[in-house]
Order: sequence, then structure tokens, then C-alpha cells
Amino acid sequence: MNIAVILAGGTGSRMGIVDKPKQFIDIYGKPIIVYTLETFDNHPEIDSIAVVCLKEWVDDLKILLRKYEINKVRWIVDGGQTRQESIYNAINALSNECKDDDILIIHDSVRPLVSHKIISNNISKAKEFGAVDTVVPSADTIVRSIDESTIEEVPTRSELYIGQTPQSFKYSLIKEAHENAIKNNNLNSTDDCQLVLGIGQKVHLVMGEKLNFKITSFDDLLLLKAIIKLGKTEMV
Amino acid sequence: MLGKSYKIVEPRRFDLYIDDIICNEGEAVVRIEYASICKADLRYYLGARDKRTLGFKYPMNLLHEAVGTIVLDKTQTFNIRDKVVLVPNIVPKGLKNCLSCICNIKELGENYCPHSKFASSNYNGFSREYVNYPIKNLVPIPENIDLQVATFSELISVAISICRRFNLKGNETIGIWGDGVLGYILCVVIRYMYSNAKVVVVGKHESKLKQFPAHTYYISGDKRMIKENISVAYECVGGKASSFAINEIVDCILAGGSIILTGVAEEKVEINTRKILEKGLSLYGATRSKISDFKKAVILLQNDNFRRDISKLLLNEIQIRNIVDFYDAFESELSNKALGRYILKFNV
Repeated sequence: MNIAVILAGGTGSRMGIVDKPKQFIDIYGKPIIVYTLETFDNHPEIDSIAVVCLKEWVDDLKILLRKYEINKVRWIVDGGQTRQESIYNAINALSNECKDDDILIIHDSVRPLVSHKIISNNISKAKEFGAVDTVVPSADTIVRSIDESTIEEVPTRSELYIGQTPQSFKYSLIKEAHENAIKNNNLNSTDDCQLVLGIGQKVHLVMGEKLNFKITSFDDLLLLKAIIKLGKTEMV
Repeated sequence: MLGKSYKIVEPRRFDLYIDDIICNEGEAVVRIEYASICKADLRYYLGARDKRTLGFKYPMNLLHEAVGTIVLDKTQTFNIRDKVVLVPNIVPKGLKNCLSCICNIKELGENYCPHSKFASSNYNGFSREYVNYPIKNLVPIPENIDLQVATFSELISVAISICRRFNLKGNETIGIWGDGVLGYILCVVIRYMYSNAKVVVVGKHESKLKQFPAHTYYISGDKRMIKENISVAYECVGGKASSFAINEIVDCILAGGSIILTGVAEEKVEINTRKILEKGLSLYGATRSKISDFKKAVILLQNDNFRRDISKLLLNEIQIRNIVDFYDAFESELSNKALGRYILKFNV
């Protein structure tokens, strides 16, 4: 079974918008999270979807699922205090129905431009290797600074990638990685791949796309609006 | 659902669009799997139409020969993952006061209705990740038919519609002018549908003509073809060269014969009307297929020998992972001199 875990537990504190989390912001009449869910809902290889949602927005999510006829969502899981806790909540919620070799495709709800190809590649590589991360090569030189004032290091650009989502894992592997992190009191990881590396497992790369960017700021929102050209698929 | 889409915006210039795919009533959402580029697509790519016409066309998704996979069907006509051919002719529903009255003429049909739309001509084509499309314009492809070969369904359907345009008795000597892909497919279709007919093909390139499953072939200009007593001739040449081909047919064909024109020419072509009158010839036009022709095409493709003959037209598969690959595919098809088509595998 291939289960998408859509993370919608964030509050959008960097957006300036205070009345709703960023994943519920409308883009041309449709909330960002719906665009994301539709792509997974209509992907033939996705069997079910779990949404990790802010507790107080669960009813709103249910209304959207009904309105937009998103049919594969089987679990709505309460979000945690951190990203790590949110994902662990989903892992636990799925424990009765997941087998060890089932694949979890963990994706940010605020990356609505994830493509069919990226999802397919995540699934096939996760089945083969157990753990995969979606990345794009870094086009810019990245510098490292510790004091926020001077450069500490300029890492070799060809070795650097920008991490995206989905990150996909065999169920048993991601469960073990999270439990190991909790055991070691590592409770605020922003990335599941770090946790998998922590149990000595390799994480393979799947090529993402620049368009699969994350909506975190008002600039990103503007960019998304500019990219989506609605009304172009006119039908008789 | 958001999906990528490549639209031509000016000659030799594609832009990437992100479209929101909405599945309306009576529609399914199809993920495009394979497509091929036809001569009409190349004309739009090169901008080889008059400027005003192009002004009405751009921006537009090209490609109308495509097959895909069902990803969403609220009508429950298809199962998810079913393979389908997309029929590019869309006829508006419930036309009132239509003066054409063409839909019920069996040699023509609704595809000749002046109100109908055609993908990649006056309507967006299939150069995209997903398309929402009317259920009635989707024809299922059985499991045993390879999707690459099924991409030729549109051309096979056109060949069937060309046969439908003029009622063959089935024992005539038939001439096909043109050694391109349509001429080849028409030759294959006629051989399978009218096994008692004799098929003669005429073209410029012997290397191509040799590959046709015809009874005999002639290089254009060969006077011996007059002795074949051709009574029905199909012109599958198109462009400026169609003038020479039509006049050669007029010279060769028996008095009282029928000529079916299928090649598209952008400019007006000169033909010898005096001789047409002398011989009492009939001229027909045919180039548009309808849904039933697509269904027949898929039935024909289930025949192993027929499918093998059509498979000979498969040139290389070109992976379309991004817009750069899409440009490369058009440039490859532009320089293609072989008998066959490149097949575009969409994985955008």
C-alpha cells in the first residue's frame, strides 16, 4: 500500500495573514491544500491519504474534502507541536493498518505543484531503497555562516542539493527512525531524512523540480498566483 | 488539480503553463502518455500559416494524436488506469437551427459540422500532463495493444474515414498517391478491409514505397501506371506537390473514375479541370474521422498482423521530461525523412 501523509499542521507565521493557516489560503477560489490533495487523490499509485491537520481546522478540512470530492483521505490526524511530532502522530495513527513494507509518501501541503512524476519516482525508489528524499541541485552558491555576519565556509556547490518533499519511506523504517530519535531525546528535527540517517540507513535521492517550491512567504504566494493561469482549459 | 502544459505562443516558441484541471460533468481526467506530431502541428510550430490565422490560434496546445490513462472519472464509465485514445473532434451538444444538416450523412458525419472543434486546430490539443475530456470522446484501448502503436489510432481512423467517404465495391484497382505515413496507413487499412482490391502505390521515394504492403508500386512520372486501369485513386500527398499528384491521377485514372483528395495544401493548387470534365471524373474530399472510426481503428489494431504492419511506422521514442525535450521532439520530426513517426512519451 502507498499512503500519502500530507502535512497541514503549520500555522503560517511567516505569511502575515493571521486569520487562517497558509495551507488554507485561497488561490483563485481554491485553497492551496486542495490543489495538493487533488494531485495525490488522482494519482493511480496512491492508495490512501492521511492528513495531519491543526486540530481547530479539522472541520474546515472535512468541508473541503467533501466540496472538492477528495476521496482517498482515510485519516485526519491531529498536528503536533513540531513537524517531527506531527509525522510521528501519523505513523502511530496508521500503525494498525500499515505493513512494514508499505510506503509512506510524506509531503508538505504547501507544495501544490508537486508532479505526478515526482510522486511516481518517490514510490518506485522508496520500494527499492527504503528511504528517499526529493531534491533539486543547488543553482546558487551556498555559504555557511555561524555568526550571521561572516562566512565560515563555502561548500562545493556540485555537492549541494535543496531538499524538497515528498520524502518517502518504508513504514517500518520511518517508524524505527522516529522511535530512535525519541529515545535519544532528539525531538525537534525538521527533516525525516536526518532521523533515518540517525539509524544508519542510507537515503537515496529523487530529482524534484524548481516548481515544487514551498509556500512559506508572501513572495511565494505571489509567485504561485502568477504561475497558475486559470481558465486556459476551456471546454465545450 | 494542477498540471503542466506546453503551449505554442509564437513560431518556434513554447511556453510552460500551469493549468487547473477541472473535471466537469460528462468528463474524465486523462494523463497523456504517448503522442505524435503531425504535419499540421509542424505548420503551427513553424508559423507556416498566414499571420492573421496564427493570431487566432496562439497560444494553443499542439498535438491531436494521443493516448492516455484515466486518472479520474466521476461518471464511472472507465476504471482508473484504463488506457484510452482521445478523439480530437469535439461536437457541441444540442445545436439548434444548424443549417448544415451534415451529421447524419454517413459518408461525412458530425466531424464535418462547421460548429465542431478540433484539438490543436481551433481548440487546445494534448501537449500537456493532464486533460479533462468528454467521456464520449474517449475510446478504450484493450490491454493487448501496445500504447505506442495505439498512438497511430487517429491516423488509422482518418484512413477508415477516407474509405468511408467513397463506397468501394472491393474488387477495384485502387491507386494511392503519396509515400508518407497517411499513404502507408491507408494502404494497410485498404488491404485489411478490402482484401479483393488491387492496391497500387505511387510516390517519389522507392525506399519508402517498397515498405508498403501494396501489390505494386510506381515512381511518380512512370507512364506504365496507366495500364493498371485504376478506377479509384486517393491523393495523400498534400502541400504544393499535391498539384502534380492530382494531375497525374487525372491522367492515369479510368474515365468515370473517382478521386478522393486527403492531403492538406496551404496554397491553392492548379489542377487540369479540362481533363476531369473529359473523363467525367468525380472528386471527393476526406480528412476528418469520427468516433466510430476510432472504435474501428482499435478493433483493427487487435489483429496481430495489422498491428505489426502499423508498428513499422514507429521510429524512436522521445522522452518528454521538460520543455527542452519538447522542442527537441519538434526539431527531430521536422528533419525526419524516414517513413514513420517519432513517438513522444510524456513524463513531465
